[in-house]
Amino acid sequence: MEKINIIGIYDDPDIFTDAVKKIKENDISIKNVFSPIPLHHIWDILNLKTRLPTLTFIYGVIGVVITFAFLYWTSVVNYPLKFGGKPLNSVSFIIIMFVATIFVATILTFMTFFIRQKLWPGKKVVMIDPRTMDDKFAIVIEKDPSLSSQDIDKINKLLKDSGAVEINEKPEPDNYIEEEND
Amino acid sequence: MYNIDIRGVLVKGNKTCAQVSDDILRPLEAKSPPMWWYFAIFITLMMIGLGLWGIYVTIDTGIGTWGVNNNVAWGFGIINFVWWIGIGHAGTAFSIFLLILRQKWRSSINRAAEAMTVVAVICAGMFPMLHMGRIWDAIFVFPYWNTRGPLWVNFNSPLFWDVVAISTYLMASAVFWYVGMIPDFALIRERATSRIKKSVYGFLSFGWVGTAKGWLRFETASLLLGGLAAPLVIAVHSIVSMDFATSIVPGWHTTIFPPYFVIGAIFSGFGMVLTLMIIVRKVFKYEDYVTRSHLDAIARILVFISLIMGTAYTTELFVAWYSGGDYEMFTFMKNRVTGEYTFAFWTMITCNAFIPQLFWFKKIRSSILLVFIISIFINIGMWFERYVIVVTSLSKDFLPAMWASYSATFVEVSIFIGTLGIFALGILLFFRYIPMIAISEIKGILKPTSILKNDDHGKN
Repeated sequence: MEKINIIGIYDDPDIFTDAVKKIKENDISIKNVFSPIPLHHIWDILNLKTRLPTLTFIYGVIGVVITFAFLYWTSVVNYPLKFGGKPLNSVSFIIIMFVATIFVATILTFMTFFIRQKLWPGKKVVMIDPRTMDDKFAIVIEKDPSLSSQDIDKINKLLKDSGAVEINEKPEPDNYIEEEND
Repeated sequence: MYNIDIRGVLVKGNKTCAQVSDDILRPLEAKSPPMWWYFAIFITLMMIGLGLWGIYVTIDTGIGTWGVNNNVAWGFGIINFVWWIGIGHAGTAFSIFLLILRQKWRSSINRAAEAMTVVAVICAGMFPMLHMGRIWDAIFVFPYWNTRGPLWVNFNSPLFWDVVAISTYLMASAVFWYVGMIPDFALIRERATSRIKKSVYGFLSFGWVGTAKGWLRFETASLLLGGLAAPLVIAVHSIVSMDFATSIVPGWHTTIFPPYFVIGAIFSGFGMVLTLMIIVRKVFKYEDYVTRSHLDAIARILVFISLIMGTAYTTELFVAWYSGGDYEMFTFMKNRVTGEYTFAFWTMITCNAFIPQLFWFKKIRSSILLVFIISIFINIGMWFERYVIVVTSLSKDFLPAMWASYSATFVEVSIFIGTLGIFALGILLFFRYIPMIAISEIKGILKPTSILKNDDHGKN
């Protein structure tokens, strides 16, 4: 069955943030919000979190270990060759380890970002409202068949009262992004 | 609030988000670029043609076509390499350091500075490869499994550290630049009317839609890369300086080199940003976004860095005397302050330490023309700094029997002109096809800036 969404459109980031808060307080499940700019308060209101920093740290540790293992293996095990009287396992490895760690952590962090966010070159998307890329802010609430007409009226009223400039009902686009909140 | 009172308004004219998109995308959405654009492209292609000729001669005949000799083995190749890498530090300096310092005025400039970084680092990378003489053997610098033992590269050599650092830096700055553009590409995708444009920018935008979770991950990833790249910037130019400082050549063998090079790099990078932004705001009518207060802020940073540069030059001279080393004393006093390379030395001092001091005067800071001229002087001065460091020390070291002079040949000069052409071409293409101001970031700073105190700063 085709899903129908109620979409509240706002044109001011502050009003929008307050609106999201109000709707959340009224126990209405917000399916998604779209904005042209990052809105930090919305993350708190919707209780969104990301584990990216932890992963980056782990990637950094992996980078250090791999780089050191490679340097040690090439210089001490595979082809031990003295340069300038320095020990085979030299302190100056730190410099390459430092830079290579940044290299590994950067690449893996962005790969994780693209994979988790399901972004890839040439991905086709249909925006729920293209204006949210430019200057509009949108709240998407799914019109669940289990909702009574009073509930729908309540949602519409809440959207209107909180300052929505438009309230639309649209069927969901085929390749709509379902985001798990983890 | 702190940055508002000092900086004035960041975006002038009470813009709305829609106006910001319209203004910044105007050159991109124009049917055809203006005539001067084609003319500029033509000039840059001529320059690149000259550079390609120089590269052809270098590869076909050999490194003997350059002015370098057994003693001054590093000439234009390394001077220009260090110069371009220095310019390449601007993007990261803007994006990362000002991000960490929470300077909101970076938003109108960071995109252009990052683009500059990527092109400048590509230009820089060409020189060491050409300097090898046998460019087809450039692959030898990478540690790969080979049939010569396997014989690995020398991991204790600063020259190899350079390879690692420059490649990492190019990768990190390119990724940072590209990922920052994804939301703007998505905006162009949604606004595009022609099918080609829609599909090209759709491809580039990676299917970005701007959900709250997406923005959270986007911002987190950007901040993480910022945190990773800040030490990288310091490391890259420190490592470049170690190419010199780990040798025993008088004038190079000093511990001041890493900080001195890092500061010098940021100085030349900011100088180039200033040159570029003054042209951009004029040509593309971005005066509302790159305001006089932005230029003023850069000028203030430059006057401070210029003081550090002056201190570094003085310290070098002082240490040459205080260390009691005859060779150091000779290099600095007889071969730089006086002697064959006096002109280069005093050009460096004048352009880097003295002329930027004019920025102390508000009158000078507020004259766009003077700021532009001084920024050009900084670019020239920083080039001469690298000339002084590379050439003077090598030309006269320990044995007088080994003394030699260096002057660049036309082949070397033409390769340098070629890289200037590549840089200009990169920037021109970028201005035509990519939003040169980060639109989503500008929209993010509209609220707390434009609305407050707009009238007070209307004159800015």
